[in-house]
Amino acid sequence: MTTKKALAALAAVAAITGGLAACGGGGGKTGSTASGTDADSGKRVTITVWHGQNQSAEKVFNRLVDRFNATHPNIHVDSQVGSLADSMLQKVTAALAGGKYPDMAYIFGPNVPNLARSPKALDLTDAVKQPGWNWNDFFPAARTAVTVDGRVRAVPAVIDSMAVVYNKRLFQQAGIPAPKAGWTWDDYVATAKKLTNAGKGVFGTGWPATGDEDTVWRIWPMVWGAGGDVLAPGGTSVGYAGQSGLRALSTAQQLGRDKSVYLDKTTGSEQMYRVFNNGRMGMVPTGPWELPDIVDAKVDYGVVPMPTYGGKAVTISGPDTWMLFDNGDARAKAATTFAQWLSQPAQDAVWDIDAGSLPLRRSSADQAVWKRHAAQVDGVQDFVDALGDARVRPSIQNYPKLSEAFGQAITGVLLGQKSPQDGLKQAVDGGNKALQDQ
Amino acid sequence: MSTVFAQAPREAPPRAGPGAPRPAARRSLIQRVFGETPTAWLFVLPAVVIIIGLAIVPLVWSLLLSVQDKDPIAETTRYVGLRNYRDLFDDPAFTGAVNHTLVYTAFFVPLSILGGLGLALLLNRRIRFIGLYRTLAFVPVVVSATIQGVLFSFIFDDQFGVANALLDKVGIAPQPFFADGRQALALLVLASLWAGTSCISFCAVIFLAALQDVPRELAEAASIDGARPRGVFWHVTLPALLPVLVFLLLWQTVEAIQLFDIVYGSTSGGPGQSTVVVVYYIYRSIRDVAYGTGAAASYVVAGGLLLITAATALVARRRAASRWAA
Repeated sequence: MTTKKALAALAAVAAITGGLAACGGGGGKTGSTASGTDADSGKRVTITVWHGQNQSAEKVFNRLVDRFNATHPNIHVDSQVGSLADSMLQKVTAALAGGKYPDMAYIFGPNVPNLARSPKALDLTDAVKQPGWNWNDFFPAARTAVTVDGRVRAVPAVIDSMAVVYNKRLFQQAGIPAPKAGWTWDDYVATAKKLTNAGKGVFGTGWPATGDEDTVWRIWPMVWGAGGDVLAPGGTSVGYAGQSGLRALSTAQQLGRDKSVYLDKTTGSEQMYRVFNNGRMGMVPTGPWELPDIVDAKVDYGVVPMPTYGGKAVTISGPDTWMLFDNGDARAKAATTFAQWLSQPAQDAVWDIDAGSLPLRRSSADQAVWKRHAAQVDGVQDFVDALGDARVRPSIQNYPKLSEAFGQAITGVLLGQKSPQDGLKQAVDGGNKALQDQ
Repeated sequence: MSTVFAQAPREAPPRAGPGAPRPAARRSLIQRVFGETPTAWLFVLPAVVIIIGLAIVPLVWSLLLSVQDKDPIAETTRYVGLRNYRDLFDDPAFTGAVNHTLVYTAFFVPLSILGGLGLALLLNRRIRFIGLYRTLAFVPVVVSATIQGVLFSFIFDDQFGVANALLDKVGIAPQPFFADGRQALALLVLASLWAGTSCISFCAVIFLAALQDVPRELAEAASIDGARPRGVFWHVTLPALLPVLVFLLLWQTVEAIQLFDIVYGSTSGGPGQSTVVVVYYIYRSIRDVAYGTGAAASYVVAGGLLLITAATALVARRRAASRWAA
């Protein structure tokens, strides 16, 4: 098995560094067996990164890569899209199975525990203890999201928080005062109802009704606010059975009954944001990444923290990550160097702005370029502030299965096909089954 | 081996001629392996490679996968025998998918064939511009099913769709359409009847071709004998269409069971699981890296199709035999 792997790794090295074949096949072998000392000095190592971005995020990433390549003569980063971030898990899985995979890839937070099972996924626990990383400078939500079973398995790439973006003009037209921090979910439901104007095709709010993770992550702040959690203590059963889950689903039911919620049945929830950007939706819970589009659409908007059930404010943060894969020591070392460089405040602040991320670490938020951005774009600071109240989904391998069961339940309740009780039973049974299968 | 050798020397090829024993011997060696005309193999070789590489190998490969629990991430593979198949029938999502597929097939097949027959009868007339009508009737066949799925999901959106706006104009309460499982399945039937490679128009084209093969004299003779148009249709035209009818029945059933692209383009299996059909279930399993489950489900579907085809062939053969006997 090991020889097979070594051969596969060798083949991958040979295939990717094809141009350097002059060094001879043996060169690749010594490269992969050398134990990361100065043996590789003077020889250029090429690594492949699948960034999964498009538009402005892709441009800024490639600019950063160019800067890295110019300042690091021994490493060449080959920046590729790989696949858009939504389907990166499938792409990377296929690549791992095929034996020819990138050195670094952009992976959604909830997928990290799953991919971390791969023997090729690097364990960065020791690497990030090195002084250059300043690991504790990262926000806790970012660190939690990349930690699986106490081991650091990825580097934070993007971090967000959820807050409610609202259309000021629609609020004025309906004669409702703007929402304020500390509002409750009852306020939210009532406001959505008042904003709704079926004749004009105006909806109070929106919720993706595809039943995938896009449907589910929006309910966690409600569950947490009502005293529940994703997992019960011990982690062997779900933490939303009983009152907390019921309360969250009842709120969803009320929104559905009032017909004040636009239910987006298309994957990716683009339709929902289009409705908001066309000035036909009063409020939308979303992340900071949506702000550039909202600004472009010239919507007069404001940002307010998530409502509560009367308790402490809480929201969700959904971090995305860079995962590193083992293509031999020399390349692994180069990839680690690149990931570390990328997460330094000077680079991070630039990347965060165009990728629609919040600062990954405290010192990034102090960079002049970030401060200027936060001052220029309305609401960015509100999302940063919300990060203080943010919790993350647990890093467990079977989260996607648990999410699927909950997603079906939420969709059923929103569409009025299920009572909150029935929905909750389905979500709890499905979630517990997912956890027991682990 | 020796028997082959014994059989091998046959009549010498006339062009080999005398005095050239060596080339003749070598050729006979090739002939022993590749038969009388070895060059023929060269001509079929590309096709053979393609068929083996793209059909046979994946077939065997997925059979292997279906008895394995393969985890491509953790890089473990375990032989689990028939467990994937057992799990499949314990999975309500799969049994649901089978049900949805059967309901869809039960509506789609008769409706598409009856509709196609009706359209073909309309188009089988000698009227002005008939060529234009026939061309137009064929247009829906070339519409991409995925695009059509997206189009239908826009038209029948329960909150923004044109369909509900029209219903509102005539005073009918708005319908949930794709937000309701049953209506969503009905809309899928409607969408595939409307356009795509197995729509009503496709059936009409096939029927039309068959109709034009029905000898005109037969119909004329029948009407001279006093048959009314309906009688001519029942006793002359329809029996002549029977072989085509059997073909379409089989073809449309296979197409219905393989429904995927419209589901992918419109509902993605939703709302809930209510429009997950078997092929969509397979796609979803593979997408979620459950290779074993996906492969097992593929074999179940392939088995079903095989049964249906075999049953049809059997019925057709028996009918032919009974007619012969009569």
